[in-house]
Order: sequence, then structure tokens, then C-alpha cells
Amino acid sequence: MNKTWTIARRELMSYFNSPIAYTAIAVFLLLAGLQFLYGFITPGAFGQGADFFEANEASLRVFFEGTPLLFAIFLPAISMRLMSDELKTGTLELLVTLPVGDMQVIAGKYLASLVFLAVTLLFTTPYVLTVAWLGSPDVGPILGGYCGLFLIGATYLAIGLMTSTWTRNQIIAFIVAAMICSGLYFVDGLIGNVWESTRPFFESISFKAHFQNISRGVLDTRDLVFFLSLITVAILLAAHSLESRKWKA
Amino acid sequence: MIEVTNLQKSYGNLEALKGLSFKVPRGQIVGFLGPNGAGKSTTMKILTCYMPPSSGAVSIDGHDAFEAPIEVKKRIGYLPESTPLYSDMTVYDYLVYVAAMRDIPAQEQDARVRNISTTCGANDFLGQDIGTLSKGQRQRVGLAQALIHDPPILILDEPTSGLDPNQIREIRSLIKKLGQDRTIILSTHNLTEVMLTCDRLIIIHQGAIVADGTPEELEKQEARNPTIILEVGGESLDATAVSAAVDALPSVNSSANRSNAQGRVSLSIEGRDGADIRPDLHALAVAEGWSVYELRRDALDLEGIFRQLTRQA
Repeated sequence: MNKTWTIARRELMSYFNSPIAYTAIAVFLLLAGLQFLYGFITPGAFGQGADFFEANEASLRVFFEGTPLLFAIFLPAISMRLMSDELKTGTLELLVTLPVGDMQVIAGKYLASLVFLAVTLLFTTPYVLTVAWLGSPDVGPILGGYCGLFLIGATYLAIGLMTSTWTRNQIIAFIVAAMICSGLYFVDGLIGNVWESTRPFFESISFKAHFQNISRGVLDTRDLVFFLSLITVAILLAAHSLESRKWKA
Repeated sequence: MIEVTNLQKSYGNLEALKGLSFKVPRGQIVGFLGPNGAGKSTTMKILTCYMPPSSGAVSIDGHDAFEAPIEVKKRIGYLPESTPLYSDMTVYDYLVYVAAMRDIPAQEQDARVRNISTTCGANDFLGQDIGTLSKGQRQRVGLAQALIHDPPILILDEPTSGLDPNQIREIRSLIKKLGQDRTIILSTHNLTEVMLTCDRLIIIHQGAIVADGTPEELEKQEARNPTIILEVGGESLDATAVSAAVDALPSVNSSANRSNAQGRVSLSIEGRDGADIRPDLHALAVAEGWSVYELRRDALDLEGIFRQLTRQA
């Protein structure tokens, strides 16, 4: 556990020593902010042909609905370097010849990306404050929304970490992870709409459906289990792929 | 104590190692020598638990590398080929990180990092980003990270490749110093380096050990006669006459002309039956009235041995 944290700390140091982290957070906040603003100024964005003021509703619904999709691009950009960079520069050889287990390496990397996600979410609290200042929003959906964002973000990061162990090329790791994440987000809308009878199945594996449940403030164990099991599978596959160097016989 | 038994490794159809066995006692400096692709790096990667062998066993101080990799890793300091380091960290931060990963308590890390940086000569650039270091400086940091936990065993994969002659000399003397109380295995293509730093030499070729012993032993094993360099001078000296006189000596097997210019003749001479022919040559020069400018035994002819042993089959 100690070494997991040491690895995570080093990873975070690398994140915040380089401009990548700041650029990525800035771009994300810009897009999330535009989206938040869009909720204010566009009639109909809140349904029933009403804008933020007319609807007389203080909520972050548009923010919570749009962010998972932004995350599907933003978070793979954060996770892509985790292992690919080690593979490319050869530093992996030094890392795994230190007295640590492969699982500790993966856990440390994942932990670092989770901290990064938490910091990013912290930067969005001005939206909450704005809404709270303009009206009196329901606390439940906001808490639920943040829980949902963290869970879906953690799932994206696990998938991104997994693809990052597959290739030394960060761009490939990014594209594959972004495709898996956005694909699984949309899958019910894409296939379910066309082929109605498959809808229940695709809804059950769609990020969007599970996320919406949580962000409504309904914390169902089924949704929790869905995200946690995806994270577990992705992390195990990542550790597996790191270990695979050992059986290329 | 390192014990390697019948190590085999294949990558797909390629057999990288074909049954390597050797033992290295405590305190020995061993040089792995061999052409590119001979299996030196593969052997080192297996010793350091980066990957397991296809078959065979590695045991370090009685711990099996496959059964107890953590115990083995704790005893080894490793410098991989091309010194991969995190270029976005400062030298100091990086060494503290390695110290933490090596189970050095937090309160001792700073002292340990400064101590080892002094040993390795990395003190002057502790605050610099690793990405801005020169090749020689990187190599020092690489050595420092390998040494930070004071390991009994050091494994260095081409520690002097890509360095200039001054840096090579510095790293070499550092390795010699470190080798006084440690077991060191290093790999190199550089024959001079092996002669100057290593107690023992293991020549690997196409995944198998083709020679193993001290440089002197290897020379004897090859039963080659030492080569003597003789340079003589004198007014109106005739090169062919000198060669003929030298060849006429009973203890000389053959001689070859190296150069002749302005009344100087330089020969490379091979004796017979391993005898030292220098006294004979000196006596001859005195008798003929030649002035001797050079009379020496050629440097250990490892290069010839190496070429002979690693010739493509």
C-alpha cells in the first residue's frame, strides 16, 4: 500500500510538472463552462421550452448530462500516458525491477489518475455555487450527480489505463479508450433505437442509463455494481497485460 | 552469490539463450562480452526479475528469482541499457522516489540521496531536470539509483556506451571502487574496459557461453603465442635485412613488418612455444648494433580471441 502511494505520488508529480495536466483541465473546464452557460441561455435546454430563469429551476442538469461525454474524451487523454510512456521510454524496466508487485504498479497509476479526477471535479464547484446563489437547488441530485460523475470518470480511467498497457503509443491508447468509453456511453441510443427489441440489453450495458439513475439521486446497487465491476475487470486486464511480458516465451 | 543454472529463453522461434550456467561468488566483477544480440541483455533481464526464463533457474543468495522475486530484487541494483529515467523529474526528486520504493525510511532518504550522489558525482546537478542532463550525467544518475539501497549485487548493462573517453574513465574507476565490496556483473562490447575493470570474463555468443575465465586464463586457453612489438633504428638500416635477421632467431616463429621509415623499422613478432622472446630480440639488436626504440609485449590479445570465438558459424 505504501509503495502504491509512492508510485501514485510520483505520477501526480509528473502530471503537475508538465503543461499537459493544466492544458487538459483548462480545456475541460472551458467546455464544461460553455455547456453550463448553454443551460442558462438556450430556451428548451431544460425542457418544456423554458430556460434557466423561466423554468424557475435551479439545477445543474445540463452540466451533469453533458459532462460524461466530455469525460469520454478528456479522461482518456489523462490516462493515455500512464503506462504507454513507461513502455516507450523503457522506464518500465526500472519500475518493475524495484521490489514491487505488478498489481501495486497498476494500483499506483490508477490511484494517481483518480486523484486527478477528483481535483478536476473540485474545479467545477463554482457552478454549484453559482446555482446555489441564483436559487435554491435540490442537494440530492447535485450530490448524486457528483457521485455519478466520479464513478463514470473512474470507469473511463480504468479503461484508459487498460488500453495504455497495450501499446507504447499514447495516441493509440487514447483513441481506443475514447472509442470504448463513448461507444459504451451511447450504445443504447445507437443500437437500441434502431433495433427496438435489443433495447433492454443495451440499456443494461450503457454507461448513460446507469449514470442517469445515479445522477437523479437514486443510488441503486445495480448501478454501483455495474461501474465497480467494470473498473475491476479493466484493472485486472491492465495488470494481466503488464504481466504478459513474463509469458512471451 | 549468484547461481545460474541452464538458463534458456526463446522469443517465439528465436532461441535467445541456449542453456547458460555460471556461478558468481561474492565480490567478483564479471564482464559479459559478446556481439549485439548474443543474449547479454536477456540474461540481465532475467537476473533482475524483469522477465522469467523459458526454463532454467536463477538463485541469488539462495532466493529463487521466480519464486521470491521481491527478495531477489531487494538485493540487486540494476542499470538497464540506455539508462531509462523519468525525464520530467529533477534528479533529486527521482532519487528520493527510488529511495522510497527501496524501503528506505523517510527520514533517511535525504541523507542517503546526498551521500550516493557524492559517490557517483551527481551532486552538482541534483536540482536539474533529468531531461536536460548530458549522457554522462544521466549515467551517473542511473548508477546512483542502482546504488541507493546499498545492494550487494550490481547489474550494469553497458554502463559506458555512448560516453566520451573521459567519462568512460570516470565511470570505470567508479565501478572499480564499487566492486571492492560488491558483486558486479556488467556487459560491454569494449575489450579494453573488460581488461581494466573485470576479474572475470564471460564471452557469450549466440545464446551460449563460449569462454569463461580471467583475461589471462582465456589467453592461455587459446594457446596463442604473445606478440612482441620491436622497433629499431640505425643509419642505412635495411628493412628486409632486419626481418631476415629476426626470422633467423630459433625462438621466433614469424614476423611481420608494421612500418619502416627514415631509418626505422617496426616489426610485430610472434614467438614459438609460448616463450618470451624479448631477451633474444634485445641480444640480437645489440649484436647488430641497432638502436632499440620500442620493445614490448603487445596488449593482451583479447580482440583476437573475441573475434575467433564469436565468428559467425
